[in-house]
Amino acid sequence: MRKLTVSPILKSLVAVAIFLCSIGPVAAQEKPRVVAVNYPLQYFADRLLGDSADVIFPVPADVDPSYWRPSIADISMIQSADLILLNGAGFATWVDRVSLPRTRLVNTSMALKDRFIVTESITHSHGDGGEHAHEGLASYLWLDPMLALAQAEAIATAVVARNLAPEAEVADRLAALKSDLERLDAKARTALSGAQDVAIIATHPRYQYFARRYALSITTLEWEAGAMPTFAELAELERRAGETEARILIWEAAPPEEALVAAQSLGLHSVIFPPLAQEEPDIAFDAALDRAITAISNAVSQISGG
Amino acid sequence: MIQIENLTFEYGAGGFRLRIPEFALGYRDRVAIVGPSGSGKTTLLNLIAGLLTADTGRIAVAGTEVSALSDAARRRFRAAQIGFVFQDFALLDYLSARQNILYPYRITPALTLDDAARDRTETLAAACGIADKLERHPSALSQGEQQRVAICRALVTQPKLILSDEATGNLDPESKARILDLLFAQASEVGAAVLAVTHDHELLPRFERVLDFAQFREGTAT
Amino acid sequence: MNALYLAFAYLRYHWARSLVLILVAGLIIFVPVATRILLSTSERALVARGQATPLLLGSRGSRLDLTMAALYFSDERPDPVPMREVEAVWDSGLAIPIPVHTAFSSGGFRIVGTTLDYFDFRDLTLRDGRGLSVLGDAVIGADVAEALGKTVGDTLVSAPENLFDLDGVYPLEMPIVGVLAPTNSPDDRAIFVDIKTAWVIQGIGHGHEDVVTASDIASGSAALANAAVVQYQRITPDNIESFHFHGSQDDYPASAVIVVPNDTRSATILKGRYLDSAAPAQLIEPAAVIQGLVDRIFRIKSLLDVVTAIIAVAACAAVGLALFLSYRLRAREISTAVKLGARRGMVLRLLAAETVTLLLISGGIAASGALVVSRNAGAWVGWLLALGA
Repeated sequence: MRKLTVSPILKSLVAVAIFLCSIGPVAAQEKPRVVAVNYPLQYFADRLLGDSADVIFPVPADVDPSYWRPSIADISMIQSADLILLNGAGFATWVDRVSLPRTRLVNTSMALKDRFIVTESITHSHGDGGEHAHEGLASYLWLDPMLALAQAEAIATAVVARNLAPEAEVADRLAALKSDLERLDAKARTALSGAQDVAIIATHPRYQYFARRYALSITTLEWEAGAMPTFAELAELERRAGETEARILIWEAAPPEEALVAAQSLGLHSVIFPPLAQEEPDIAFDAALDRAITAISNAVSQISGG
Repeated sequence: MIQIENLTFEYGAGGFRLRIPEFALGYRDRVAIVGPSGSGKTTLLNLIAGLLTADTGRIAVAGTEVSALSDAARRRFRAAQIGFVFQDFALLDYLSARQNILYPYRITPALTLDDAARDRTETLAAACGIADKLERHPSALSQGEQQRVAICRALVTQPKLILSDEATGNLDPESKARILDLLFAQASEVGAAVLAVTHDHELLPRFERVLDFAQFREGTAT
Repeated sequence: MNALYLAFAYLRYHWARSLVLILVAGLIIFVPVATRILLSTSERALVARGQATPLLLGSRGSRLDLTMAALYFSDERPDPVPMREVEAVWDSGLAIPIPVHTAFSSGGFRIVGTTLDYFDFRDLTLRDGRGLSVLGDAVIGADVAEALGKTVGDTLVSAPENLFDLDGVYPLEMPIVGVLAPTNSPDDRAIFVDIKTAWVIQGIGHGHEDVVTASDIASGSAALANAAVVQYQRITPDNIESFHFHGSQDDYPASAVIVVPNDTRSATILKGRYLDSAAPAQLIEPAAVIQGLVDRIFRIKSLLDVVTAIIAVAACAAVGLALFLSYRLRAREISTAVKLGARRGMVLRLLAAETVTLLLISGGIAASGALVVSRNAGAWVGWLLALGA
């Protein structure tokens, strides 16, 4: 009799244990994992996938994703992802030095190759071989909302092809994203229509696609983001401002107050325009882009108004 | 023990012919057979043992008429009733002395190898002075020792009749007498009669009776 | 029981003769069985590898060379196929292309430059360490680890080659980051690297001294490098950033491309695209090529069977003669036994018992030999196949 009372309890305990053991890993594995090499791709993937997958952007907030170097642990996490979203156009050079499963790679700018902007190339040679050139490509495609949309569409295609989310849901979400980006583009075109004649200087070469889309003329410097410019750099700025008669200076990140004052003294309106490779605190991709467009538009109106 | 009446045996047509009108051997008798080579001495032993069959006449051994037995019965009879001692010892080189002595038990279902047989092996070997050599192979034994093993083999089955064919022929004169004495002593232990073919005339006084084969011979030996 | 007792005593006493007979008989049984096991295992291994590789894309030329290089990592060097062919397959959406670049070697083993998809495709698992992660990493097969006595944490240096007449192609030192679990396939005897690492070995990709850094290149402000830039022979965390590739990746070489079609229909469409004999690339079915090879092997095998049969007959005759002579030698024993009351048949039983004992021992030896062969056939066949590579 005693045996009879004990064994059901044991059995149910064992059953519960087995159930817990089995559900743990299954639940953990069930959601597909998508890795993006920059914030815009993460944002697009997140919006397209909703809750169907975990979208991971592995670069720490204080590191420029262009120059990030993944650790071995990062690499193995990325290798095991179901989908790896690359930006292409030479963005994130670590991809060339890391082994990635080609079947799970998606180059989101594959279809945009003929729209890439070639930057200066550098030439060198080694050994007895002839000189050869390294061609530079501008890689901040997403600052042009239409190119951003093309990247999002590439993600949507890949997500559907791999069955990571229901096709209809992805299509609906892509339509929503598309309308957001088109609205942003329309707004920018209106807001920046008066900016074509205003020369702009940027502290970093990030805005090539943005400039092309809205026909802006932007001269670039090589300043460190968020830092106080040196005297030499300020002198260079003054010279460039003189040459181009620039009235607007775009900062990648907010610099110290003195820097803004120094710019002001050169007759330059400062605009903070984060290039969004990293996420801005507390503001989503489209809102951040919207804010930057508004800032430039405001600066332009101030110039023409004043 | 043995009774022979009007025995005739012929090898081939017109060849050697043996004829024994009458011959008797009593229990525990020791009889020597002498005669020139080819006079049929060995043939007689083979006839008695049932290895050959007589053309006519009658051979009875221990009351059994050998010539009337079937092949299988004759083999059983031979295994149980007769012990053989040969001139060349006929030991098997691949068996030890002990295995040689017990060899008859290994080759016929008529005999059963039991503890009694094993005990007898020990007793016989001790009596023959080879108790310490039982594990040796024949190649490690002297001629005399080999013949002692052969005698043990002939006696271990407790036969009623020992047929000895020139058992001492290959031995030196001193050993001859000793081996023959040993054979007689052990035969009387088990109560067996001995019929021995021999050429050694100096041994004849030790026998109770001598059968001269010259009287039976007819025709030419081949 | 008694017959066996005597037979065993006889065999033991004449041990040298018995040993020779046992060995001869054992060999007669063992050799054909072992040959058969090895041949059927090699057939299975060859055919399995062929069947596990649906399609193979390569430059037009010997189909056998292409198959041997891509499946067995042999010394054959088919003309390289440009990576644009890989991209073409990707673009078709009909199949997954997996390039393999087998032009280099180290320590007598092929360096196989490929993509991570290869490991998934062949179902290779790691015994030690981790998979390929960073440029320069090498993952070695189980046999390589054993033969070279290397393991995770050791390094390998590529054998110097001037095959492509590229100046300044220096050997590359590669850290071993993983050892694969054995699979009894050519993968056990390969050194796997990322195909980009293979290109570095080839000199297509290279690093410079700190003259040019990646950030310089990205910003477009790099100084003109001087003409005596030193190529690194080792990729380290300090210099990895300076490694870069020249020209369009479309022109980079691979020895062959394993093509895994999505389905039969895709395979058919793809095959149709490469039918034109004027096209630079060909798409072949390795299984068919291997089958041709196997058929050739098996023609040799039937010859081998005849030779074995002749030897077996001769050897059986020899054993029979030996037994017959032993019967003759034992005529005296037979007559003694008969006098002591044995049947004549008893002696035959004795000889039969001896023969059976001999054959049982020989058979046992041959069977255990065959067991050893069949247990290790996979590994040995792999090794034999590698001999030809």
